[in-house]
Amino acid sequence: MLFSEIYGNYFRTMEKVLKEAVQGTLTEQKLQEIVERQGFEESRLHIPKSLKTQTWPLIDETYNTPLHHKPEMALTILEKRWMKALLEDPKMKLFGLSGKGLEDVEPLFRRDTIVYFDQQRGGDPFEDASYIRHFSTILQAFREKRKLRIEFLSTSKGILHRWDCVPHRLEYSLKDDKFRLMTRRKKYVDTINLSTITACSLLEPYDAEDENFEIEKKQVVLELTDERNALERIMLHFSHLQKETKRLDRSRYRIRLTYNQQDETEILIRIMSFGPMVKVVEPESFVQLMRERLINQKQL
Amino acid sequence: MAYSELIKDFSRIRDYMRQFYIYGFRTRDEFDDKSGRSYDNERRRLESWLGEYMSFHQDAGGKVVFLSVDSQEILHNPLYQAFKAKSFTANDIVLHFYLMDILEDHASCSVTEIVELMADQYGSVFSEPLELDESTIRKKLKEYEQIGLVKSEKQGRKLLFSKTKTDVDLTEWKDAIDFFSELEPLGVIGSYILDQTDDSRSFFHYKHHYILHALESEIMYVMLDSISRECTAHIRLFSRRKGKMMEYDIVPLKILISTQNGRSYVLGKNLGDGNYNLYRLDNIKEASCGNPAEDWEMLLKAGEEYLKYHWNTSAGRNAALEHLEMILNIEPWAGHILQRLEKEGKHGSVEPLGNHQYKYAVDVYDTGEMLPWIRTFIGRIVSLRCTNKVIEKQFYDDLEQMYAMYGGDDHVV
Repeated sequence: MLFSEIYGNYFRTMEKVLKEAVQGTLTEQKLQEIVERQGFEESRLHIPKSLKTQTWPLIDETYNTPLHHKPEMALTILEKRWMKALLEDPKMKLFGLSGKGLEDVEPLFRRDTIVYFDQQRGGDPFEDASYIRHFSTILQAFREKRKLRIEFLSTSKGILHRWDCVPHRLEYSLKDDKFRLMTRRKKYVDTINLSTITACSLLEPYDAEDENFEIEKKQVVLELTDERNALERIMLHFSHLQKETKRLDRSRYRIRLTYNQQDETEILIRIMSFGPMVKVVEPESFVQLMRERLINQKQL
Repeated sequence: MAYSELIKDFSRIRDYMRQFYIYGFRTRDEFDDKSGRSYDNERRRLESWLGEYMSFHQDAGGKVVFLSVDSQEILHNPLYQAFKAKSFTANDIVLHFYLMDILEDHASCSVTEIVELMADQYGSVFSEPLELDESTIRKKLKEYEQIGLVKSEKQGRKLLFSKTKTDVDLTEWKDAIDFFSELEPLGVIGSYILDQTDDSRSFFHYKHHYILHALESEIMYVMLDSISRECTAHIRLFSRRKGKMMEYDIVPLKILISTQNGRSYVLGKNLGDGNYNLYRLDNIKEASCGNPAEDWEMLLKAGEEYLKYHWNTSAGRNAALEHLEMILNIEPWAGHILQRLEKEGKHGSVEPLGNHQYKYAVDVYDTGEMLPWIRTFIGRIVSLRCTNKVIEKQFYDDLEQMYAMYGGDDHVV
C-alpha cells in the first residue's frame, strides 16, 4: 500500500517526539520545536493537543512515556522492493552498493520496463571505473566542503584545462542522462560535464561564505494562444521552471518564466519549438534573439 | 465532517494540485465543478503542506492561488508531501507505537500476550487508556505482516508475532536513495525511506526536473505491479477525445516517460478491441490489478514492435509509416548542432552532403509529433520534405506566421 499513514508525517513526527520522551529529555518546548520542524503547518495545533488530552495516550502530563524503546520502524516490503529495483540501474554503480540484505527481495520493477522515449542518446559512462572515481571524489568534496583540483577536456576545442575550484552544485539531467558539476572560481561560475573530467583530487576546505552564492536568474515573458492544445503542452513543458500565468482573454495567456542565465540558448530553442502558438514579448533582448534566428532562416 | 489537514484518499487533492501547479491562473469561482467549500478546504491543505511554494496574485476575477517551484533549486520533490498526509484514527497511531515497543522487548508474542502486556505496561499510566481488544490488535498485526513490519510463525497451536529486522545499512544507501527518489518511478518510496534517516544532507540538484509525476504514483504502482506479475489491469480514465469517462481492461506491458515534459504513459493491449495503445497516467482516475494475462511474453514482443516507429507516443491515424527529410546548414564551428541531430534524432540517419549541409532522414508513424523538435533548428533548415504533405505545409505556414509575429513594423524578418 503506497498511501498509508505509517509513512506519514504524523507518524514520523511522533517517532521523534517519543525518542526524546524515552530518553527523558522531552519538554513542552522541545515538543513544539519537533512538531514545527517535522510536521505540516497545522500539525502544531493537532499533535500537542492530541497528546495533552491523551486522545493519543503516548506521553503523560510530565512529558514521560511508558514506552521502553526509542521507536524504530523496519523497512517495509514496498521500500525494499523499490531499493532492489534501483540495483539494476547503471547509475547505481556510482554509489558502490552491493545489495546486501535484499537478496531475497523481488524488485518492484525491471529496468527494461521503463522507457525514457525522448531521452538523448550518449549519456555518461556511469559504469566506467575512472568516471566512478571522479564522481566519488566530487561527492566527498561536497560532504567535507573541500575545494577540488580538476583536469578536463573542453568539449568544443578539446583543450586540456586544469582548475582549482569550489564545487558549487552537482546536477543531473534525465533528459541528457548526464551529470554536470557547477564550479566557482572567484566570481565566475563554470559548468563542467563529468564525462570530460580526466583527473580530480581533493584540496583544502573552502570558507563557509563560499556557500552563499546564487546563480543569476533571468525572466522571459510569453504570450500564448491556446491552439492545438498549446496551453497544456507549454504549461507541462515549462512546469519545471518557476512561472506565473495570467489569463488575458478566453484563449490568450501571459506567462512569466524564470530561468538560469546560463541556460538562455536552451530556453530560446525550446520556446522556438512551439512555433507561432507562443510569442516572446519581453525582454526586448530575448525578442531580438528570436528575430535573429528567424532572419537566418529566411535567408536560407 | 470537521476540517483536517489529513486526507483519506488522494484522488480529490490530485486534481487541485495539478490545477494549482500546472495552470495556476484560475480563481476560486472558476473551479466550476467543485463547491466553494471544497476549494477552500483543499487550498488550505495545500497551504499547510506546501506553504513555502504557494503564491497568489489578484486579477479582475479575484484572488488566483498557484504553486510555483523552481525545480532546479529544490533538493526534494515537495509534491511528495501530499502522500504523507494520510488520515488515521487514534487507535492506529497508538497501537503502532505500542506494538513496535512490545515486540522490541519480547522476541515473539501471541496476540493474547500482546493484549496483556499492553494493559500492564501502558494501561495503568493513563487515566483513560485506549480500549484495544484482541480483534483490533489481530487485525493490525495482519496488516503489518502484509506490509512487512512484523512476521509470524506457528508454534504448536499458537501464532507468534515478532518484529521484522532490517539487514540493509541505510547509512550506506543514503546518497543513492536521495538521488533516485527524485528520478525513479515511485520516488515517493525513496522519500519515505529518507524520512527515517537522521541525515538530512543532500548533494544533488536536477536539471529538466519534472516533479508532477508524483501525483500519478498510485496509478504507476498498480501498473508496475501488474507488469511485474504479468497480470491484466482494469483502468477508469477520462478520454479527452470522447469527453467522457471510459473503462478498459488492458494488459500493461511497458511504462513510457517523457524527459521533456514529465508525462508518463502505460503501453497496454486493450482486451476489448485488441489494439495496442498508450494511456496517459494523469488521465487514469482509478486502476486495479487483475488476473494473470495469457501469452504475456508474446504480447510484450508485439508491444515492443508497435513502439519501434513512434517518434513520441502517437501511432498516427492508421499506423502507416511517413518519411521525413530535412537538410540543415551546419558550419564546421557548430559541431554541437550536428551532435544534437545525432543524439536527439532517434532512429533517423544523418548524411553529410558537402558544402556544410547535412541530410537527416527518418521514418515514423506520425511526423506531426516531430514538428516541435524540427523547429529547434530554425535558422539552419535549408529544406523540409515529408510524405505527409499536411505536415510539410504546416511547418512552412507556421514559419511564415512567425516571420510576421517577429517582423515588427519595419518587417525586418
